[in-house]
Amino acid sequence: MSVWLALSPLLAMVATGLVAMLVDVLVRSPASDADTRGDLAIITTVGLFASAALALGLWGSGPSVALPESLGGVVAVDRFGLFFAATIGLGGGLSALIAGGYLAEHGIERGEYYPLIAFSCAGAALMAMATDLLVLFVGLETMSLAVYCLAGFRRGSRKSLEGALKYFLLGSFAAAFLLFGIALLYVLAASTRIAEISEALRGAAGSSPIAVLALVLLLTGLGFKISAVPFHMWTPDAYEGAPTPVTAFMSVVVKAAAFAALLRVLLVAFGGTALGASVGWPQIVAFFAVASMSVGNLVAIWQKNVKRMLAYSSIAHAGYVLVGVLAAWKGAPEGRAGVLFYLLSYTVMNIGAFACVAYFGRRDAEAVHTSDFAGVARQHPAAALALATFMVALTGMPPTAGFFAKLYVFRSAIDAGLWPLVVVAVLNSAVSAYYYLNLVVTMYMRSPEPGAPVAQPMRSGAIATAIVICALLVLHLGIWPSRLLSMALEAGW
Amino acid sequence: MITLGHYLVLSVAIFTVGTIGFVVRRNLLVVLMSIELQLNAVNLALVAANRFHPASHAGQVTAFFIIAIAAAEAAVGLAIVVSFFRLRHTVRTDEADRMRH
Repeated sequence: MSVWLALSPLLAMVATGLVAMLVDVLVRSPASDADTRGDLAIITTVGLFASAALALGLWGSGPSVALPESLGGVVAVDRFGLFFAATIGLGGGLSALIAGGYLAEHGIERGEYYPLIAFSCAGAALMAMATDLLVLFVGLETMSLAVYCLAGFRRGSRKSLEGALKYFLLGSFAAAFLLFGIALLYVLAASTRIAEISEALRGAAGSSPIAVLALVLLLTGLGFKISAVPFHMWTPDAYEGAPTPVTAFMSVVVKAAAFAALLRVLLVAFGGTALGASVGWPQIVAFFAVASMSVGNLVAIWQKNVKRMLAYSSIAHAGYVLVGVLAAWKGAPEGRAGVLFYLLSYTVMNIGAFACVAYFGRRDAEAVHTSDFAGVARQHPAAALALATFMVALTGMPPTAGFFAKLYVFRSAIDAGLWPLVVVAVLNSAVSAYYYLNLVVTMYMRSPEPGAPVAQPMRSGAIATAIVICALLVLHLGIWPSRLLSMALEAGW
Repeated sequence: MITLGHYLVLSVAIFTVGTIGFVVRRNLLVVLMSIELQLNAVNLALVAANRFHPASHAGQVTAFFIIAIAAAEAAVGLAIVVSFFRLRHTVRTDEADRMRH
């Protein structure tokens, strides 16, 4: 198979970015012409969905597509990478679709938004396919630099800029740690290839202090990107400040790519080494998992701002996924499949939740507090029903994607003998029901205070389409999960 | 005789200075410089290690990529700092407290 075809999911994302950039410069007329601007959102969405479709199209060509020698083994088009490329393309396309309605409504419709989303997706997919730590890092930076810009997209807003500033500073700080970890692994292995590092770490070098330091640095760097506690400080501010479609993008695409990198680094490079045995990264990751679930859920209860609540909830979800990473470490193929299925489910349900929040935000009347949603179910039953579905899915109740996602991760963790973690995770899910369902109760059973602001939905076909797609996928994954689960089981490296 | 260990100790020392600078200083420009210091410590480690692993040039190539990425990062970072300065007329990190409840 030609190299162009093998890398087509990645190339389609880059091409989407380039086309969106050219259309913005050549076709669109300046400022006044607001109607043409929806085009860019549609181009980007179609392009990113197409790259997801290309990734699924390559699925049939075997567990791993052979690449020519000239690429030197720095990327692998395996089913693991393709699954993530499809998830990333789906998430990126949906957030571009939300942006199509959101940016116009809030008067920040500028063309650079869409190329940045597409390039960021390309970086994320590169990260998921990388089998060389240098390429992984280049992918991470391609993804992150675009998201730093997107987080500060509302240049006139203090919150947006402060969120972008904190995200940028802590993100670059974490990237430096990740890099130092890569450099130390190079010192040990004389290579940046993950396979060769794994070989070197299986020898005597695997228990040297340099290897320990490298592991800690890598976990710090990737822990920031998945926003695991104790590296979560930037998350609430960046999520609250960023425009809602960007928050949706950050919470799913960036997180999925970081988890892909984490899985490859921990399970391939450190798998079967002294540091991947009974004493090593599994203990650290278990600590991250428990801390992320507990802190995320307990703090989310007190949040009055919906975006901040979803930010803490995304920290908690990172904790649940880390339980799956540990199950995968125990060698169960179901463990890794559970992680992939969870990230796909989280992509559709979380983007759906943010799409609803964006939908309920007219210009200068954005619904930010839970109380703004009081009684909206009576005036806007369809949108309220969608938001309620996503909240139920995030809680992990049937018949939604969230239920099976949690079920598979927890069951594979029990099979791997990690039941203390599962007990913590189930207790945390019960806690999370309080704040997710609180929003549902507010929408359906509370009446707005007299004179209090009530959420006003905007009229946007783009956002409505995104909500419908997400809702259908959430229900599909919650009722007929078997096909995607078997794909996740096939997704090896 | 200067060994790889010497280079690594120096690299860790520079990286630590950068880390402390990032944590302690409140001026955004100094914080950006601290990040650059960290990245250059990484470059030093990579290039020195390549000297002792002469079979390939992977370390030096990685250092080149890091230099390019650091430039891109500085461009984005300074753009965010300039936007922040326009709104707040300050480059101090402790002034970015709008969302602290």
